[in-house]
Amino acid sequence: MSESKKVTVEQMLARAYAIEREAQSRYADLADQMQVHNNRELAELFGKLAEIEGKHAAQIKQRAAGAELPYISPLAYRWPGTEAPENVDISVAHYLMTPHHALKMALKGEERAVAYFEDLVKIAADTDAAALAEEFVEEEREHVELVKAWLEKYPEPEAGWDEDHDPPAIQE
Amino acid sequence: MSPASSKETSDRQSIALAINGSGGAGAITAGGMLLKAAARAGLYGLFTRSVGPQIRGGEAAAILRLARMPVDAAADRCDLQIAIDWMNADRFAGELNLGPDSLVVADSDADEAPRVIVDSGARIVTLPIAALAKSIKGGRPNMVALGIAAAVIGLPREALDAEIETTLAGKGVGAITASKAALAAGIDAASEIASAVQLAPAGPAGDKRWIISGNEAAGMGAIRGGVRFVAAYPITPATEILEWMAPALVKAGGSLVQAEDELASINMIIGASYGGVPSLTATSGPGLALMLESLGLAVASEVPIVVVDVMRGGPSTGIPTKSEQSDLNMALHGCHGDAPHIVLAPTSVADCLFTTQWAVHLAEAMQAPAIVLSDQFLGQAKAVIDRPADLAFIANRKIETAPEVGYRRYALTADGVSPMTVPGTPGGQYTADGLEHNPRGTPSTAAGDHSSQLDKRSDKLTGFDYGQHWADIEGEGPLAVITWGSSTGPAREAIGKAREDGLAVKLIALRLLAPSRPEEFAAALEGVERMLVVEQTHSGQFLRHLRAEYGLPRDAAHLCRPGPLNFRAQEILSAIRELQ
Amino acid sequence: MTMDATPMSEALTPRDYKSDIKPVWCPGCGDYSVLGSITTALAELQLQPENVAVVSGIGCSSRIPAYANCYGFHGVHGRSLALGTGLKVARPDLTVLVASGDGDGFSIGGNHFLHACRRNIDLTYIVMDNRVYGMTKGQPSPTTEPDWAESALAPSGTGLRPFHPLVIALASGASFVARAFSGDLLGTAALIAEAIRHEGFSFVEILSPCVTFRPDEREWRNQVHLASVEPTDDPARAARRIMTDDGFNTGVLFSGERPAYSAATSDGPSVDAAYFEKEFEV
Repeated sequence: MSESKKVTVEQMLARAYAIEREAQSRYADLADQMQVHNNRELAELFGKLAEIEGKHAAQIKQRAAGAELPYISPLAYRWPGTEAPENVDISVAHYLMTPHHALKMALKGEERAVAYFEDLVKIAADTDAAALAEEFVEEEREHVELVKAWLEKYPEPEAGWDEDHDPPAIQE
Repeated sequence: MSPASSKETSDRQSIALAINGSGGAGAITAGGMLLKAAARAGLYGLFTRSVGPQIRGGEAAAILRLARMPVDAAADRCDLQIAIDWMNADRFAGELNLGPDSLVVADSDADEAPRVIVDSGARIVTLPIAALAKSIKGGRPNMVALGIAAAVIGLPREALDAEIETTLAGKGVGAITASKAALAAGIDAASEIASAVQLAPAGPAGDKRWIISGNEAAGMGAIRGGVRFVAAYPITPATEILEWMAPALVKAGGSLVQAEDELASINMIIGASYGGVPSLTATSGPGLALMLESLGLAVASEVPIVVVDVMRGGPSTGIPTKSEQSDLNMALHGCHGDAPHIVLAPTSVADCLFTTQWAVHLAEAMQAPAIVLSDQFLGQAKAVIDRPADLAFIANRKIETAPEVGYRRYALTADGVSPMTVPGTPGGQYTADGLEHNPRGTPSTAAGDHSSQLDKRSDKLTGFDYGQHWADIEGEGPLAVITWGSSTGPAREAIGKAREDGLAVKLIALRLLAPSRPEEFAAALEGVERMLVVEQTHSGQFLRHLRAEYGLPRDAAHLCRPGPLNFRAQEILSAIRELQ
Repeated sequence: MTMDATPMSEALTPRDYKSDIKPVWCPGCGDYSVLGSITTALAELQLQPENVAVVSGIGCSSRIPAYANCYGFHGVHGRSLALGTGLKVARPDLTVLVASGDGDGFSIGGNHFLHACRRNIDLTYIVMDNRVYGMTKGQPSPTTEPDWAESALAPSGTGLRPFHPLVIALASGASFVARAFSGDLLGTAALIAEAIRHEGFSFVEILSPCVTFRPDEREWRNQVHLASVEPTDDPARAARRIMTDDGFNTGVLFSGERPAYSAATSDGPSVDAAYFEKEFEV
């Protein structure tokens, strides 16, 4: 992370909120993609993940206890990677993907979130901010465990899961 | 003198003359000055030019008709030809059409007159045009020729002197003096020629008149109609529209972009019009052919645009400097798919203003493309016309300024026209699309959407009230001459002559070629027993259109020939007489 | 970290620039990320959606206007720059984005590309380059490698030297030339924001893999790399750099100062049509 300034409580909350909202938006987009491509199982799964992220976001907003969080422009966050840490990689989606694939993506997202908040602890502006960051670390670690458990229900599918006997269709 | 010419000495109503010369002789300049002088003297006139293929130094003929009433057609015969020289001049013979009553005044030092001129039976006299010019310091043969012309037809010297002063104002006193002297020398030399072709003097000019070409008139009509964006790609014979509009648009607060090709120019005007600005481009047949795909885009996305096609000889590169009416098929049917749009055609030089202005109004009112089929004859001829009346036809697009939630750009409405939001309007965002779409504008392959949108785009045009402007209908009679575009002028003149002979002939000159007006057309044909369709094509495009759209009977007579020569009233009059 | 006077609740987010139309691109398509980059750039600039127009041609990438909550025009194949130019000249107040693909933009649209660069028209041209004609099922495009042999139309590969859009853009006079990779959503967003801010013709080629017809492009994530040099405002220096480009450098190649195209304007107040009559009066 290229952050050298100290992160305050408000800024912590703003970032955490942004992370959840971004993740929610990403999962919602993927749910739409799956719905359009008639993968109902994944549409529902991503929809559920979006819902969960939405709840997390709402919880963080509540924590802010009605205080106006500072506006941070999308590029000003300077996330460590190419996007907000909990956003799953949209480029590895596949119209025939299975819950196993989706949850693996989600797991990576949660793990990135853990690492991000661990780094934030180190540059917290004060003890309150550090404590808040620690809380977020714990929460994200819980999410990791939840996703791991969820993932256990879906072992890696056999080869051929992405086989489609129909050729691509021309549209225009 | 023949009886016809003795009748002409005092009450001749019109005269046709030409001045030709080559190698920079300045025949065209002389012709332009003659027209302006005649206008000053209260006459109407029509001035066209015919040139060889060279860019400079080629043979050129200034061809004029001057008259006491508006002139919209080439003359049956050239009454007077003044030949500064005979180099490659047989090229003009067909266009001029000399006859036994014609007078040719040629330079004494020139070659023998070409065979075709001699064979016409015209009276040929010679005058020392070049010598006279040389005898005056700075004198030019075209000014001598101008003087000869003025004297023979009886144009007052003052009008010409005034024109010399105006035209040569920038060239200094010396040039003016020399030109006036050359003019005078020509007038004096011509006094020896018995003036069998003298025009009766014109009355006062009355209301303001203009001298304007069809292309300039189209530009004026566009500006009057509200066009404020033009994309331009030059092509003969349409370039003058774009060149006139370039500075005019800027002064009127608009803009013009020179495009890299016609594919760009039509898309630029679609983009500008989508942005809310009435837009236009002008081209000729080859350019319109390139534009057709995107014309369909304007139809499908319901974006108003105007494309002026100044038709020239086709097919392919054809005859770029001559007129023809053979783009009709392409204008009507050139788009792929069912792509109804508006097609209009002016019937005269003056009508280029009205029809282009009307085209802007119609395109904007119905959110559709309008093609204006002008042609080289109208576009490049300069005419003396009465000042065109101010019209109420301006761009009046149905714009949605306060869109509600769920705004639907292509909503199905009673008249088929759905209010359009303009970029910048909050809440009105939509994506215009060439893909078929639902009322919201979202692409759709559903049968219901396709048929309802097709109906919308068609009904909005057919349901519109075009008033009486869809055609010029004049006179009554059992015979109707049905025509369009630049063929209207000679048809009107022929009908006038027929009436003088006691024949009752009706003129139906279409201005609106698409959509068709079956009811109005049927009403126009009430009481008509015989029809003569007149068009300047090889394959009879207009007749086929009339048959397809209006069920014209199979026995309708057809006067049909391609360019490069324009119709003369005499040809049409002969055809009319044959049908009696 | 920028703090704005705008409270978070009032600011436009990237999602505010997305329409409610769900894209039909194949899941995994790079264009999803590009849409994210564009909406992120617009949110970064806080432009009002109604003042932005997205204009496109034909192809998978060209579907993008419908997915944005801005004014849009989905035009015909290859003519998006002409549409966008007409719109921008008639409505200079709008922010105009033109979106295209490698086929639409560099094949049939090639001529308009040259002249848009020449004009230096103030708009942002985003070309989603996947080195294939995706919409029509996988034919080579002008940027396809000469030995790509997976198409029925060219079963032994085209054997043709690929079109190099950055070279062409630079040579033709574009005043902002950049390359991005869809896999770097925020990096691409930053480039797009800079391109929009730049006054003049801003060209951003975005390498955007096609998962259906070019699965080999999954390798791109390992091949792209940030250019190791700073952008230059010297066309000659940029030209030297681009001639040794491996096709995977990302970042701004060239950002120069050249007056953007402006149509001639009147010195004084606008006249009405009657003004022109005296030219014709006898």
